[in-house]
Amino acid sequence: MADDVRTKPQQSANRIVNEPIPDATAGDGITGTGPLVYWRVFRTFVRNSLVRSMGFRANFWLECVSSVCWTIMNLVFFKIVFSYTDSIGRNTGWGENEFFVFLGTTWIITALIQTFVMPNAQEFSELIRTGHLDFALLKPIDTQFLISFPQMVWSNLANLFLGILLVGYAVLRLMADESNPLTLGFTQVGLYLFFILCGLVILYSVMIAMASTSIWLGRNQTLYTFWFYLTNFYRQPMEIYQQGMWGWTLWGFFTFVIPILLVVNVPARILAEPLRPGLDERTWSLAGLTLLVTLLMLGLSRWVFQAALTSYRSASS
Amino acid sequence: MVTRIAPPEKPWRLASPKTMPLIEIDQLSKHYQVYQKQEGLWASVRGLFHRQYRQITALDAISLQVERGEFVAFLGPNGAGKTTTLKILSGVIHPTSGTCRVMGHVPWQRANAYRRRFALVMGQKNQLWWDLPAQESFRLHQHIYQIPAEQFQATRDELVDLLGLAKLMRQPVRELSLGERMKMELTAALLHRPEILFLDEPTIGLDVVAQHNIQQFLKHYQEVRSITILLTSHYMKDIEALCQRVVIINEGRIQFDGSLAEIVGKFDQERIVSLRLADTTGIADLQQFGRVTRSQPPQVQLRIPRSQVTSALTEILNRYQVDDVSVSDPPLEEVFAHLFTQGREATDQGASAPKEDMAGSRRLTGEARH
Amino acid sequence: MTVWRSRVRLWWAIFRVSVEERLVYRGDFAFGTLMRFLPMLTQIFLWWAIFDAMAARPGETSDVNAIRIKGYNLHDMIAYMLLVMLARAFSSMPGLTSGIAGSIQKGEIKKFLIQPVDMLGSLLIQRIAHKLVYYLIAIGPFALVFFLCRSFFDAGFPAPDQLFGLVLALVGSFLLGFAMEACLGLVAFWLLEVTSLAFIFMLLTFFLSGHMFPLDLMPAPLDRLIGMLPFQYLAYFPSAVALGKVTGEDLVWGLVIQYLWVIGCWVLCRWLWVRGLVRYGGYGG
Repeated sequence: MADDVRTKPQQSANRIVNEPIPDATAGDGITGTGPLVYWRVFRTFVRNSLVRSMGFRANFWLECVSSVCWTIMNLVFFKIVFSYTDSIGRNTGWGENEFFVFLGTTWIITALIQTFVMPNAQEFSELIRTGHLDFALLKPIDTQFLISFPQMVWSNLANLFLGILLVGYAVLRLMADESNPLTLGFTQVGLYLFFILCGLVILYSVMIAMASTSIWLGRNQTLYTFWFYLTNFYRQPMEIYQQGMWGWTLWGFFTFVIPILLVVNVPARILAEPLRPGLDERTWSLAGLTLLVTLLMLGLSRWVFQAALTSYRSASS
Repeated sequence: MVTRIAPPEKPWRLASPKTMPLIEIDQLSKHYQVYQKQEGLWASVRGLFHRQYRQITALDAISLQVERGEFVAFLGPNGAGKTTTLKILSGVIHPTSGTCRVMGHVPWQRANAYRRRFALVMGQKNQLWWDLPAQESFRLHQHIYQIPAEQFQATRDELVDLLGLAKLMRQPVRELSLGERMKMELTAALLHRPEILFLDEPTIGLDVVAQHNIQQFLKHYQEVRSITILLTSHYMKDIEALCQRVVIINEGRIQFDGSLAEIVGKFDQERIVSLRLADTTGIADLQQFGRVTRSQPPQVQLRIPRSQVTSALTEILNRYQVDDVSVSDPPLEEVFAHLFTQGREATDQGASAPKEDMAGSRRLTGEARH
Repeated sequence: MTVWRSRVRLWWAIFRVSVEERLVYRGDFAFGTLMRFLPMLTQIFLWWAIFDAMAARPGETSDVNAIRIKGYNLHDMIAYMLLVMLARAFSSMPGLTSGIAGSIQKGEIKKFLIQPVDMLGSLLIQRIAHKLVYYLIAIGPFALVFFLCRSFFDAGFPAPDQLFGLVLALVGSFLLGFAMEACLGLVAFWLLEVTSLAFIFMLLTFFLSGHMFPLDLMPAPLDRLIGMLPFQYLAYFPSAVALGKVTGEDLVWGLVIQYLWVIGCWVLCRWLWVRGLVRYGGYGG
């Protein structure tokens, strides 16, 4: 073994010595900078996480089953609720089918967040705790990008398909409604998808900002719990909060301060048109707000992240 | 081929590229605030509002210069500041005060142009994807460092060949032995052909064969590529085998900076003389030549001051019937242990620093990093 | 006589150590308990919106509080949600299943084969100790929330006999919860992947025990099935007792069936333990 190593270098010495020593400007001469690099790295993340989850197949299926289980229970609950009432909230327009568009949208967004964002936010806290963030800081690529996407838990994507099914089913039912049918154009579907993306960005920003604080607080086990409690608020139509002092306070807080109420509400309103015909003024102003908030939150999370990094201590263990 | 002019923020590079040291550290300090946990219920409630902090000094105004192509070892007890230095140089943490330039960059600004030109390998932390073959992590590195495909393949094959990893490429990293994993880590770190390599305890926990393999590899690679390597280690074997220059750090200060031979000359005042006697009569009288450190008749080991070795040996050979004799240097470990205690005594006397034993200071710095 | 005395002394020792162990985490406890009521806010607003929409229907009184779903008005519904939290504070056993499964898989149960300590017995004592410490700290947040929400309890404070029934039901729910989760943990003698199973079991419990909503609301075929399962005694039954939905003879019968389930699950538990040990010893540990 030892001899092996001692002789090998001699053989390949010539090969190496001919290579030019990279000079000081080598870094500037590398081609292919910009978005393409990020896309390639992202693709490698997708590939690696797929390979990994295929390595634990039994686990993968059990996880699928349990997340689908939870979703079905959710559906049964609201099925039962709608056997007693026609809508959620007085004159809100959230009838059974409209609400199922809302519910399906919630599943889609939650599934995407749980697949792409949550594992990374948790992992980020873990990287801080163990000091493995060092490696991310060494790489010649945006650190926030590098810690935001490496882990993907594909089993959580099961609910994405259920969500699409539910939204599709509910939209078809709404379009077939004889008294007040829903009419959808491509623009509307496009806007729906666009605002889902905005919602994802908002949730991502909140989560990354929260996870960044563990650089200062050093505590991460409460993060997941806290997140769970927080997400409880975005899963409901915002109209339910719009009554009484407490309700309006909550509404204001989760619309303007931690704007997670916009995440599902805006795309769901755009697609289901609860107050049809047409989109009401309220939906448009909420959409405008969402656009603004998305950019703001993304900037804010970036700022918190950068600020937190300067306090990073790099635990060694 | 377009030749680019160096960007304006680094004008010095145009001015005198050859005379500038590769790494320049000036008065670098790092302090940590450590939250002191209180015992008991009431104290921990109070701790929620009123946190008590204590300051730990990891680096105390160190200055250092390293030239291109040097192989420098950082040596010191746990928590002396070696790792902190490497982490500042690689931009992972910010110093409290002082300046530092590596290849013209301020490390903690983490410019991409800088980060493409060095690598850090830590024996205690592993960066490869645990559940995947190392090959997949290498591919990720290729994209992150934007290594052209041919160059990537050439470098990887060469490293895999040098380190004898070909058979392990398809095995998940978690199934590799510690030594194999370290070789994979080295490969990953060298894929982008860094000009500077920071190594933090690269051989920690490895068996002798694996240690030797890695030493051989580093030695060879450094010679051929003439890259600059800064290494911290606990193993004297690493340092003996690899480094021309040794920097000894203790309690955040540089205690010594020079060649290995110099250290031995400066701090090592004794020789070890081992004797095997044919006749053990009068064995007790050997004390008069020096300190008897081991006595298992017919074998005796003596410590004799360096200046007296020749005269003492002549005398002994005259008086005793000696079968075998050998003279050797004390183990390096001992030299360093001696050095560290000396350094501490000096600081204890000089400043009103709290008196803590070595175990104590290790514990403190351990806390500082958690 | 002396056998009993030494046994009691052993139980006491386990109890004391477990209390001390738990007290270490007291800080996070109180805050965590208060946080656990946070999702209730959404629940309250959601139910309000549902009842409000029902009141707006043509021909209704348009008074929200007069609307009832299967005998529950809005106040009852909110009171039920609060009481379910109380019941689950007794019947949920975080970490029990995975703990047992883990010690079986890691071979830690060997010590129970050597030492004269019964594993299930000592786990039960540990759990009682943990729960008592938990109540000692959680009583603050619980009292605060119940006090703030006192106006939702239309029937006021339960009558003495009802209170007695509630205490029995809560103790029963604790014992039943322990026995059911212990059984699940012991399955690890036969199956490797118990943790995922435990997670699915937890989800089912959430639904079938009435944690999500009162079981009275369940539609026709489902309610029959759920009535035949033990889950309802973990959350729904104690809450219904406290709300005065179950009284007199029904209460007595409910308690009898609950305790029969306790005995049944405990026997199953013992049986699994004995069979499991035989199997464990069979392949040499």
